[in-house]
Formats: sequence, structure tokens, C-alpha cells
Amino acid sequence: MKLDPKNLPLEYSTETNKLNILGFWIFLSAEIMLFATLFTTYFVYVDRGVGSGPAGAEIFELPPVLIETFLLLTSSFTIGLAVHAMRINRVKAMIWFMVVTLLLGAGFLSVEVYEFIHYYHIGATLQTSGFTAALLTTLGTHGAHVTMGLFWGIMIIIQILRDGLNARTANKSFIFSLYWHFLDVMWIFIFSFIYLKGMM
Amino acid sequence: MDFSDRFSIPPHDDPMLYASIVAIVLTSIAIVVGVTYFKKWGYLWNNWLTTVDHKRIGIMYIISALLMLFRGGADAVMMRLQTAVPDNTFLDAQHYNEVFTTHGVVMIFFMAMAFIIGMMNFVVPLQIGARDVAFPRLNALSFWLYFTGAMLLNLSFVVGGSPDAGWTNYYPMAGPEFSQHVGVNYYNWALQISGIGTLMTGINFIATIIKMRAPGMKLMKMPIFIWAALITNLMIVLAFPVLTIALLMGTLDRQFLTNFFTTSDGGMDMMWANLFWVWGHPEVYILIIPAFGIYSTIIAAFSERNLYGYTSMVASILAISALSFLVWVHHFFTMGQGALTNSIFSITTMLIAVPTGIKIFNWLLTMWKGKIRFATPMLYSIAFIPLFTIGGSTGVMLGMASADYQYHNTLFLVAHFHNVIIPGVVFAMIAGLIFYWPKMFGFMLNERIGKWAFWNITIGFCLAFFPMYFTGLNGQARRMYTYSEATGFSTLSMISFIGTLLLAVGFVFLVYNIFYSYRHAPRNIGGDPWNARTLEWATHSPVPEYNFAISPTVHSEEAFWDYKENDYELFKGKVEDIHMPNNSGWSIIFAGFFFAFGFFFIFHVWVGVIIAFLGIIGCLIYRSFEKDDGHHIHKEEIEATEKELGGAK
Amino acid sequence: MKELFPLKQVNGYIFSLLLTVIALSVYFFDMSLAMGLTILVVTAFIQAGVQLVVFMHAGESEDRAGIYIHTIFGVVVAILTILGSLLAMIWGYMY
Repeated sequence: MKLDPKNLPLEYSTETNKLNILGFWIFLSAEIMLFATLFTTYFVYVDRGVGSGPAGAEIFELPPVLIETFLLLTSSFTIGLAVHAMRINRVKAMIWFMVVTLLLGAGFLSVEVYEFIHYYHIGATLQTSGFTAALLTTLGTHGAHVTMGLFWGIMIIIQILRDGLNARTANKSFIFSLYWHFLDVMWIFIFSFIYLKGMM
Repeated sequence: MDFSDRFSIPPHDDPMLYASIVAIVLTSIAIVVGVTYFKKWGYLWNNWLTTVDHKRIGIMYIISALLMLFRGGADAVMMRLQTAVPDNTFLDAQHYNEVFTTHGVVMIFFMAMAFIIGMMNFVVPLQIGARDVAFPRLNALSFWLYFTGAMLLNLSFVVGGSPDAGWTNYYPMAGPEFSQHVGVNYYNWALQISGIGTLMTGINFIATIIKMRAPGMKLMKMPIFIWAALITNLMIVLAFPVLTIALLMGTLDRQFLTNFFTTSDGGMDMMWANLFWVWGHPEVYILIIPAFGIYSTIIAAFSERNLYGYTSMVASILAISALSFLVWVHHFFTMGQGALTNSIFSITTMLIAVPTGIKIFNWLLTMWKGKIRFATPMLYSIAFIPLFTIGGSTGVMLGMASADYQYHNTLFLVAHFHNVIIPGVVFAMIAGLIFYWPKMFGFMLNERIGKWAFWNITIGFCLAFFPMYFTGLNGQARRMYTYSEATGFSTLSMISFIGTLLLAVGFVFLVYNIFYSYRHAPRNIGGDPWNARTLEWATHSPVPEYNFAISPTVHSEEAFWDYKENDYELFKGKVEDIHMPNNSGWSIIFAGFFFAFGFFFIFHVWVGVIIAFLGIIGCLIYRSFEKDDGHHIHKEEIEATEKELGGAK
Repeated sequence: MKELFPLKQVNGYIFSLLLTVIALSVYFFDMSLAMGLTILVVTAFIQAGVQLVVFMHAGESEDRAGIYIHTIFGVVVAILTILGSLLAMIWGYMY
């Protein structure tokens, strides 16, 4: 699935655009290490860092986690559709897909906030133990990324509405889609190795 | 502890502190008054503070690095003065803790890192025949974030107290219980902010090297320094996020009382050591690999030969970078992780000696049958080879886990890592600075004074650090602020102090040389005063804003040499309009908000944190909406400049 | 309307939902730790691959070699960091 070099889509149309996309991929590998560090910490603390606090199996609940997973997976699908719409030059559809993506992201965040409040109520706070600190920092870092993505997405939608689709806005949208897919990938790992493994 | 307890000026009641605070204030006033008097604010703002030009950013990095070298060097002299005689009372224990901590932090993060990044900034685009880096604005931001971090750390000296848990900042010593003043908060935030800048540099240079090489410069035709820079930045991108997270956890522990690195409620103090060295070991190679690149360039240039074993050089850089992520546990063999783990990491550690050895032999063979010119950059490179080999061999000694129980945390270790970092990194940076000085400023540094500096620095280094191998093996622990007469360390410690003084004298010569050459050295030195081999010497000295009037075309890793010797046509085509990025004050303002954010966070001033955070967000939004397509330098303008500088190259 | 939902992406979405359901089996069925972890590792990495190739178009541009090499190197270093830390802090540690 290579692009035809004579007929590149808008987001690849200038040298700056190509550099931006490559630069963002490099940034994503830094993000891989960022989350890998969080996972490292979590895996160590889940084993040795529980202390007198609760263990994972005692605090995790499946329903909110499933809802979160479904919302984020779907939003990753819709942002993919937005990029596809952009490439066939359907600006209106693209904006709608982006709006849906951000709404799904907001839905994900609200469930996560509910989850955090729940942890707080059952006495699993940031200060409880090494394990809870590692858990909440990992989830929190992911959540902060999603929050950041929401604001970023809104900025891009405003710019597309203002300027239409051009080399600049298309480039920004494509890079935003990379970011959003990446967050979904990270969530898959959180879902599998923090929640499911914890509840096994 | 409330705000007024934390916010103490000065942190201790000490006449020396008062004196240095007065000195700092007076110097700052003098700078402001001087710039105002000579009406240079406009010049400073337009040409330096807002610049996105990789050459100027590189020079600013190097100037900051030199300033930090003197700051860290002053700490070093104080430490050796304190330990020159037994039972000395020049510094007390707390003060000594702060001095060795800032010495390490300043030298690694704000001197060595800044120096190599400055060097890469200046050299990489020129050497690949590009007009700038991939993301010039981001590059300026990287610098200002680094500078913010450096200033923040230096502020700790005056307001609130310096970090005092060692540059490795081990917990629980660095935790809120044992380090109660704000020093370690400064450590966390200064490194966090400058680390973000470094990460951006990494991304920037990888994109630059992958996408912006001159036509014809295939991967295996890149000059060796470019290979070194590429791999270094790859390691930066993969290592620095680890530090980001570790510092975040440290901040949470200290300022929100979590239990990551405590000793209760499931906290694990050694997890900090683990994460710190997951970042820290690649960091060591991030420092040394560009230095290897510079040595390779200089040794080839002053032996008038091509580099021996180019392919094996590239292969060994790659091998070192891969291994660098697999050895970190050797920094804490004594933690108690058992024989199996220690054996694995011991073997990977010793493996690194293989590619490094290959490089040493390649340098020797480059000089073999070469026509060696003993210019100062070459002297540093020649001194580097035996000194670094000694440092490397003691490193292998330390890498043997069972033997390490003897060496661990003694001055033997201190001698080892200074023995690799000073001849390895510092010598390379000084050599590189002297080598590229004409390219930066258009005149050469005086060779005679340069050699005085060289001999003082080299002999000073040997005197200062070789005695530590012996006292270390005799059991002198590092970071002890004094010792008794009965230990028998006093003679060797005194020799070490004398060596430190010689080193200091050497650096004074270095600075005097800049001053002297600025006044007396001839200009009009042409583009290639060293008779060197790579592309950066194909343009004028100093380099015009656009680097090359015509983009060079390349067919080998020494295209400029072929152009000089083998009639290779380097500049095909004719002068055209050149697209350049615009200057912008955005980066410095953005970094200013980061400074405020860090400062308020350190002192738990949440209102300030929120305001600064909003400022950061505002800057990001502004940047998102900004349309800045750069400007063009017109053909006529370029032709005029080229004529003035001595004809199109 | 139909051109807005290309088959490739719809299939990718359905496939990733399917993988999630398979991963859920470790919760609903009683199995050994090794078995469960194997399922999780396999499903998670396949999902990541689907996202990377189908949704993120990692291989479409002229820089695909750089992107793949860099990302794979990042993933390898990430895995080694996790395993090495576990080796130092858990598996080899003498309590």
C-alpha cells in the first residue's frame, strides 16, 4: 500500500509536511518508551509494591473497563474514517467523523473519571501504596494524553472550518490521527496487561 | 513545612554564600547596564534571542556549556580543596553534599549535553549540505528549554538550597524525609524541563539526517560524525522518556507524598536507581558517541588520510548503541539481585569493550602512515587514545560483578568515570571547538596559547584523577567530605588537588586564548584553514546565513577532499532563491512560562503554577494557529554576498 | 455514503473487536497464568499491528524504512527494558 509519488495526498504534498509526519513518528517511538517505563514500574509494583493496600483484583471492575475499551476502539475507527474522508476530499464527512471521535474520547474520559472516583472511595488513592501510585500514574498519563488530544482535535476542527482543507490543515489532521491511534494502541496494552491480567 | 520555610535566601548562613549572591547580583546588573549602554538590546533580540538559525543556536549552546563548565569547575575545585588535607573544615558536610551534587548535575546535564548538542547543531546541517535542521523553530525551543532548566538549577544555589542527594539522586536520601529543603525539587524540575528540550533535539536531528542530506549522500556515504549524531539522537529519543517518567514519580513522591520510592507501603527505593540507570547508561553513550565522531573527523583531517575502516566504525557505533540499553544494572551490582542477573549484565557490559576496541584500532590505523600535523585539536585527539583506553579498561574491571563489590562507591569508580568523560567527552569538545572555531567566527585560535592550555589540562587531569584509583582501592569512599590523618590518603589527595589547580589554569588559558585571538588573529582565513575533508569546509568562514549558495552534490563521504584533490565537481547548478525560516520570539516566551511553571511548582505555589500552565497552553494554541511560511533570500542578494565573501564556492 | 466506509477499515475494526473478545476469555475461563499471558500477548500485539498498518498507514510513504526501523527498535528496547527490570527487581531479587 504505497502512495503514488506523482499523486500524493494533501498531507504529504510539501517537504515540510513530509518532515512533520516523519518527525511525529519519531516522537511516537519516544512515547512507546514513555509508556514502557510506566509499564515497567507497574509490573514491578504489582508484584512487590502492594504493601498494606489493596491488590489489583480487589479494586478492578470489568464493566467500566469494557465500556472504555469499546469507546476508544470505536474512536480509533472513526478517526481512521475521517482520514479516509479527507483523502477523497469529503470535508463535511471528515469533520463529522472527527467530532464523533472527540465525543467518544470525551465519553472515555468521563468513564475514567468515574473509575478514579470509585478507586478513591474504596481507599485506593495515589498515596495508598506503591502499587496504587503506579496504577494511577499509568492510567493518569494515558488519560492526560487523551485530554490533550481532545483540545488538540478541537483546534484542528476550528482551523479546518476557517481555512478549509489545505496542505497545512490536512497535515495537522493526519498527524492528529496518528496520535489518536497510538493512544488506542496504548490502551489495548493497559486493558490486556493491567486490567485483564489483574482480574485473571 | 510552609512557604516561608522553603523560600529562604540564602539557604544557609554562610559568608561565602552571601559573597557569591552579591557577585551574582552585581554581574547581572553589569550585564544589563552594559547591554543598555551600548544599545545592544535590539541586536541581541533580533540576532540571537529570537534566532532559528542552527549555527547561532549551536553557538549559544556552546557558550552556555562553557559557562556551566566554569560553574561546575568551581564546584570541583572546592571539593578537592576540602579534601586536600585531612579533617579540613572549609566546607561542612551539608555544604559538601550540595557541592558534589551540583557539580555532577551541572557537568552532565548542562555542560556535556549542551556541548554535544551545540556541536551537533553547528556541524550536522553543514556536513550534510543542508540549509538548516528539519524543524528550526523547535530547535530554538529546545535550546531555550535547556537554558531554562540550567537557570532553574543555578537559582537553587541562591533561593531555597541546592539539591544534596548526589547527581544520581538516590532515594530514600532524596525523599521528603531525608532531604527536607527544596533542593531535590529543583533537581526534578530543572532536569524535567531541559530533558523535554533534549528529547525535541533528538527528534529534530533524526528527521534532519534522514530527510535533508545533500543529493548523492547515501547512508553509507555519510561522514562518520553524521552517523554518530544519528545514533546519538536515536538513543536520546529512546532514553529520555524514561528519565521523564522517573522524575515525574520523584516529584509525586516529594510533593504529593506518594510511595514510589519510599521504604514503606510498597515503595521501593531501588526502583529509582533502576529507572535512573535505564536512562543513565544510554546517556553515557549519548555523550561519548558524538565525541568519537569528532575524534574520527579530526584524526582523519590531521593525518591527511581517509578514516581507516569506515564500515567497521559504523558497525561499532551501531553495536554500542544497541548494547547501551542492555547494561544498566552494572551500576548497582551490590543491590542484591542475585548471581544470575549480575552475570547477565556483567557479560553485556564487558561486550561493549569489543566495538570500542575496534574504534581505538581504527584511529591508530588512520594515523599509521598518515602525515600527522600536531595542531591543538590533534593533540587532544592523540592524548585521548591512551587516556581513554585506561578509562575503558578500569571500566571493564568495574564491570565484573564480583570484583565490583570491592570497587563500588569508592574513589576508584570516581577516577574511572572521570577518566572516560574528561579525555573522552571534554577533550573532544575542546578539540572540536578549536577545530570549528574558524568556521564559527572567521578567525583561528592561537596555537601557542592553545598548546599551553592543552598541556596544563592533560597533565592536570592525570595528576587529579590517577591518585584516586589508588586511594579508591585502599577503600576511600566517594562523597565523604573529610577523612582522618590515619587513613594515609593525605599525600595522594594533595596531589589530586594540585592536579585540579592545573586543570583550572588550563581552562583559564583556553579563555585567555579566545580573548587574545579575537584581538590579534588575522581574518581572511578562507573557507578551509585546516585543509580538512568534509563538506562544512566547502563554504565560507564564518558561514553565511544560508550555508551554501548552491546545494552541493555528493558522491563519497569526503566529497570536499575529492573536490580539492580529484577535480570532483561539488556545486552543480546555479544560484537560486533560497527559502529560509523566520525568526521568532515564541520559543523564548514559551520557555519563560516553563521557567515560571517549574519555579512555582518547586515552591508549591499553586496559583502561580496554574497561571504559568495557562501561559504554556496559550503558547501552544498560538503556535497551532500561527501561519509562518518563512521568507526567501533572493538570488541577487546571495550573489552579492558571495561576491563580498570571495566568489561563489 | 458507502465510499465513506472502506472495507479495509471496517474489517480492521471488526477484527480488533474480535481480538478484544478473545482476550476477554482469560477473564471468563479458568486457565493457567502462562496460558492466559500467552493469549494476552498474542492478541495485544496483533491488535497493535492492525492499528499500525491498517489505520496508521505506517508503510505508505517514502520514509517507510525509517519509520519501521525506528518504531521496531523502540519496541525492542521497550520490551528489553521491561524484561530487564523485572529480572533485576523481581525474578533475580533475593528478598
